[in-house]
Order: sequence, then structure tokens, then C-alpha cells
Amino acid sequence: MASKKTAQKTLSLAPVLDLNEATALHEKLLALKGSDIVIDASAVERVGTLCVQVLMAGAKTWEEDHLSFTFSKVSDAFEKTTQLIGVEIDHLMAKEI
Amino acid sequence: MDMNEIKEIFFQECEEQLAELESGLLKLNDGDRDPETVNAVFRAVHSIKGGAGAFGLDDLVSFAHVFETTLDCVRSNRLDPGPEVLKVMLKSADVLADLTNAARDGGSVDGARSRQLIKELEALANGEVPPASAAPVEPVVKPVAAAAPPPVNDEGFQPVAFSFDDFDAPEEPPLMEMPVYDIVFKPKSDLYAKGNEATLLLRDLSRLGEMSIHCDMGALPTLDRLSPESAYFFWKISLATDKGEDAIRTVFEFAEWDCDLEISLVSDETAPSGEELPMQPVPFDLSILDDEPAVSVGVVEEEEQLAAQQRDIRNAAVSAAGTASNVLQMAQSATRAPTEKPAPAAASAAAQSAAAQQAAASAGTPTIRVDLDRVDRLINLVGELVINQAMLSQSVVENDTNGTSSINMGLEELQQLTREIQDSVMAIRAQPVKPVFQRMSRIVREIADMTGKSVRLITEGENTEVDKTVIDKLAEPLTHMIRNAVDHGLETPEKRLAAGKSAEGTVRLTAKHRSGRIVIELADDGAGINREKVRQKAIDNDLIAADANLSDEEIDNLIFHAGFSTADKISDISGRGVGMDVVKRSIQALGGRINISSKPGHGSVFIMSLPLTLAVLDGMVVTVANQTLVVPLTAIVETLQPEASAIHSFGSNQRLISIRNSFCPLVDVGRILNFRGTQANPVEGVALLVESEGGGQRALMVDAIQGQRQVVIKSLEANYTHVPGIAAATILGDGRVALILDVDAIVAASRGQSLKPEMSLAAVG
Repeated sequence: MASKKTAQKTLSLAPVLDLNEATALHEKLLALKGSDIVIDASAVERVGTLCVQVLMAGAKTWEEDHLSFTFSKVSDAFEKTTQLIGVEIDHLMAKEI
Repeated sequence: MDMNEIKEIFFQECEEQLAELESGLLKLNDGDRDPETVNAVFRAVHSIKGGAGAFGLDDLVSFAHVFETTLDCVRSNRLDPGPEVLKVMLKSADVLADLTNAARDGGSVDGARSRQLIKELEALANGEVPPASAAPVEPVVKPVAAAAPPPVNDEGFQPVAFSFDDFDAPEEPPLMEMPVYDIVFKPKSDLYAKGNEATLLLRDLSRLGEMSIHCDMGALPTLDRLSPESAYFFWKISLATDKGEDAIRTVFEFAEWDCDLEISLVSDETAPSGEELPMQPVPFDLSILDDEPAVSVGVVEEEEQLAAQQRDIRNAAVSAAGTASNVLQMAQSATRAPTEKPAPAAASAAAQSAAAQQAAASAGTPTIRVDLDRVDRLINLVGELVINQAMLSQSVVENDTNGTSSINMGLEELQQLTREIQDSVMAIRAQPVKPVFQRMSRIVREIADMTGKSVRLITEGENTEVDKTVIDKLAEPLTHMIRNAVDHGLETPEKRLAAGKSAEGTVRLTAKHRSGRIVIELADDGAGINREKVRQKAIDNDLIAADANLSDEEIDNLIFHAGFSTADKISDISGRGVGMDVVKRSIQALGGRINISSKPGHGSVFIMSLPLTLAVLDGMVVTVANQTLVVPLTAIVETLQPEASAIHSFGSNQRLISIRNSFCPLVDVGRILNFRGTQANPVEGVALLVESEGGGQRALMVDAIQGQRQVVIKSLEANYTHVPGIAAATILGDGRVALILDVDAIVAASRGQSLKPEMSLAAVG
């Protein structure tokens, strides 16, 4: 457990996750591969489909690697956008904070 | 802001919605068939339901839901709001108000009554509509089977937060009987590359109706094989809308080259094709996506589009207009407009008009809620300021600055300013009497129900404004009087018909401003006061002597005596004998007067005259036997210096003054108040001609007039005790306390030549 804890990385998302941010987000996630990851989406004001795709691809990748990929906090805008486009993130929400 | 504060705001809004609901229903009751009225009523109930759902107030939600369903039938013209229907609806509005109050204050409600009404409402919704829409909510529910909320009256009804914004759209369609479309939306990578955003398209789509969505992520690769700007997601959407396929296509109009789009109509019978898919319903408040950041989407896109093709420019118009909340209709009409060559200006024009519409919406009634305590504190402080300013003026006069004009001018300006401040501050607390009047309509309904009478309440002048403190204290006496009017005043329908009147009785409640006071009249077209019965009752109760010679007016006024009730049997509603005397006392405590006039067979009119505010008063400062008194200016008709030739003695110690060839009783204020034992010489004093509420003029004798000024009323009852003939007190510029005269009490006392409590009855009996 201790080793897992030290390996856990946190990624805070930018307020605006639009087309331009998708590539940057992709690179950031790739750089964090191999560690448990906690995504902080509390600052997100706007998120586009592309960034949601990147995040979901990340979740899929982490799952294949048997590592944990969770959202610690999500903003209202983030949550509503994902709901709007039918992307389920409930199972990725941190269960205990 | 914690939950309780939010809840408190919700309840405040509920009150407004309930008022809206009731006035809307009453309008419908009067034959108004404006769809906007029906919509307003529907919105009110809907808003209450939505808010209550957010707070988990289940009772309120389930009742509001049934109510809303029935109202929706009216809205979609499937139920005619006839008198019987509206009767149920008005009762439902009352129960909704009860439930709201219970939810706020934790009280209990009459469960049987609300259950009965739920049944009646459901019967209205079901009984008079074709079976296809018998359970109007179902068609909406069907297409989203996976996430269908339980049907109407299920106890486990699940409230969903809902965007109320969309209800501002004037053509909001009824939610039922809507065709359902299955939509498959597969964006290509180009769609994103051109600055389009699937989230915005889906948002616009969701606004067309009830939408459920499934996102297919099957094509999504793992991170290392992902191209971040390619399209992987695609959607299967189920949308219930009555706006037609064209409207759906319009949403995708600017993206159609960059996506695969399949739209198919699902009939009600066939199961939606997306049934096996885990569909997510999208009925939540999307307004957050419209907030400030989203506005920048429009701007950014707009900038991008400047260099892009026309097609994209038009798209900017869509998103710019779409970002402004509440303007869905506009955005659609903008996009539907057959603009073959839309100039770039179209984009900004759409955005501008969207903003303008938003501004117009918010500019309607910009109000803030302020704690009443704060206003009261301000009013008190201004009162002190007025007193202080008076003191300052006084000391300047006393120190005799030889009339240095600058000081005097400054003082005058200060005086004007304080006056203006005071007026403005009082205006803050001024409120229309409408809420009180609206409560009365409910009372009329209930009493009419209990007594089996048919009553119509007509209110007039409900926007007349009066100080909130007065309004608050008005409700109780008014309730009493309304009850009396319906219970005692109006006859039963049979008797009315027999008397040649319509079966439905009328109670008219009127408010108006008259010479600085508010006058409230309550008139019924009932039988009027049975004077013989009143007289007999008064004799039985030893209120008057058996041989007393009373005028009609005096007999009528007997009903204000404590312990007087003419109802043969004591009913639940009124007639416990604590009615009108309580009313009279509460009105008097407000500095008001009440009078009755009655015509046998034609009904009675109660006239209440109340001060507009309980805080300040324009008064004439006078001297009586070395005492300073204030006479309310509103009571004074004129002042005059009597001449000896105009004074005539009359009877033992009565005197009259002749004014323009008519005689008017002369009232020595000093004598009445026992300031002096002997009568003053009228020629040495000043006569104030006053008009009393009972009608007729009196000349009040005072020694001298000091001046006219606005005084701050300080309650004598609260600070000392009630003094007969004195309404209140004030503090003068020199710091002394001056008493404010109760002109009516003085006039009434002058008839009996002494001042006792219940002076009018002392005079009568």
C-alpha cells in the first residue's frame, strides 16, 4: 500500500479543455503512465468532446495497466458536460476522500 | 451560503409563485383564456415542484406533480378550465400553500384534504381526456424507458432538477404526445478541426425536448494509439420533441458535412431501438454550460470564423446566440432563417440581440431582498435624524444668529434633505396590499364552502401601497371582517333568490389612497344589518336601555361592542362574539378608524381608514393650556380666528361657531383633555376645523398655533400606556415630548363631553 501511495500522481485539469488543450492533455497523461493517477477536475469551466475522449482513453489505458485512475473532484460544468454527452464517470469518482 | 439559507430563498420564491398561481387562477376564473396566464400558472406550480424536489420535500413534490399534470391538460387544451375545474384548482392552490408552509415551519397539513384533491385532480386529468393521453406523463417517459421515473402518483416519484429557463420560452410545448426520434450522430474528425463542438450540438439538441443519450466509446483506443484530435465517440440519442425532424436537422445544419447523421421517427408502440443500450437521460439544468466561460466560446469561435468560410460564420451565430441562456427560440429562428449569404454581421447581430433579450429579461424588475430589521433600523435612524435636525434648527433660532443667511439657508437645505431621505426610506417599506387581499380570496373560498354559500370576491386597488407594518397588522382584522361578511352578511343562495338577487353573493374589497391615508372598504350585497335584531340584542345584553332612542348609525355601530353577536347560533366561522370589537380595537391600535353603513336588503359597507405609515406624521403643532400638542394635518380642513359675533351658546355648556352661514360645534380641546376646568374664551384662541370619520365637521379650540412640521411618531402604548384622546407622542426640537391628538376620539368625546374608553358607546348608552 505504501508503495502505491508514493506512486500516486495528481493531475489538475486546466479550466478550459478545448480543441487546443486535447493534445497537451494527451501528452500530460502519457507522461504519467505507469502510476496511479488522481485527476482533479474541480477547476474545469468548459470541456470539449476531444478532451473527454482523451480522458476516457486514459481511463481505459490505466485499467489495462491495472492501475487506478480516479477523479478526486469534478466541477459542475465538467460533470454536466459528461452527463450531457452520455459519458459515465461515476465509476471513476474517488470513493473516499 | 448554507443549505438553510438556500432553502429560505426557495420558500420566499415559493410565496411569490403561490401568489402568481393564485392570481392566475383567479384570472382564469374570471374568464381569462390567455395562454400566457395558463402558462404562468403552470410555471408557478412547476417551479415549486422543481425546487421542492431539490430539497427532498416529497409531500410537496408529489402534490405539485399531480397538480402540474392537470394544469398541463389545461395548457394543452385538453381540459377546459370551467368553474368546476377551477374550483378544484383553487383548492389545490390552497393545499399547495399549506404544504409549502408545513414544509417550512414543520407544521402538519390536512392529509385527507390533499389526498382528496389529488384524486379530484387526477380525475380531471384522466376523466376528461382521451385514453392516449390519460396518463399524460407517460409518453414522455416511454422513450427513456431505461431511466423512466415512476408514474404520476407513485409514492416513490423521483424528482429531477429541471431547467426552468426553458419555460420562459413562449412556445414551450406540452411535454406529452410528442413524437420520439432515434438519432445516430457520428462526428468525423473534421468536425472538431473546424471548431465545432459536439457538446454544444448535443446541448442544443437536448433543448428541443426530452433527450436520452448513449455514448458509444467502442472505437476509443488506448492512450498511446490515440490521436487526440480525432473523433472516436459517437452517440445514439432518443429525443422526444414535437418540433419535428427539421428542427433536429437544423441543430446539425452546420456540421452535417462533417458527421454521419441518421434520424428516424419511432412510433409509440415500437420499443425505442436504443432500449438495450444504457441510455442516460439528459433532463438536467444545462444553464451552467451557458455561463461566462461558454460565452467566450462564442467569442473565440467568432474570431476564428472571421477567417473561415461563410458556413462557419453562420455556425458562430448559432453558438453565440445559443450561449446566451433563455434564448433558445431566438437561436433557432436565427438559424432557421433562410440566409443564403449571411454576412459576418449576422453573427454579432444574433449575439447582440441575444444579449439584448437577456438584458431585457433581467431589467424587468431588478429587486433585492433586504432583511426587514435592517430597514426598520434605517427608519429609526432617520427618525432620530429628523428630530436632531429639528433640535438644531431650534437652537439656531434660540441663539439668534441675527438671521445670517448662510446658516439659515444651510438649515433649510438640511431640512429638505432629511425630508427627502425620510420619504425615500418610507418608500422602501411601502408595499402593495395585494398579498393581504390575496389571502382574503382564500378565506372567502373556505368560508363559502363551509357555509354552503356562493360568493364572489372582487378586489380593487390591490396595488395601493402602504407601510409594511400597517399591512402586517391589517390581515387579522380584515380576515375577521371577511368572515363576518360571508357568514353574517350574505344570505344563503335560496334566500338570495327569494329576495330577487343572484344566487352568488358579492364581496367587494377596495383599497385607495385618500388624503394621506389608505381607505379600505369592504362591501357585501347581503341583507344588511338587521337593526331590530341588533337593538333587541343590545337591550338583552344590557348594552342600552330599552327605551333608548338611537339613530340608525348608532345601532349599526353597536356591533363593534365587545361580546356582541347577532348570529342565532354560534358557528365555527364567526359569531363567537369576539368579532367586531376586536376588529375595531386592532384598527384603532393602528391609528385607524372603522365605520359601518348598512342598507337593509342591500348589504353593508365597512370603511376603514388607516395611516399610510406608523412612523411619521405631518402635524400642526399647537398650544393648549400651556401644553404642546400635535394635530394630524390630514384631519384639519382649515384654521380660523373666531370672532365674538360668530360664537353662539347652545344648551347648558355647548357652543357653536358660525362658519359661512352654517353652524359647527365648538370643541374645547383643553377642557376635553382636562387640561383646564373652565371653558376658554374662543376669541382668544384659534379654531381648527376638522373633519371626523363619522362625518360632520367640528371646530377644535386651541390657544395658539406654533407651526407645522413633520413629527416622528413614538408609540405611547409601547412606552407608557394608552391615553384616551391621545394617539401617540413625539419629540420636539427642544427635546420635549408632545402628545399627538386623536382627533376622532376628541370629537367623539365632545358628544358626551368627557373622555372615557369606549367613548362612542358611552355616548350611545
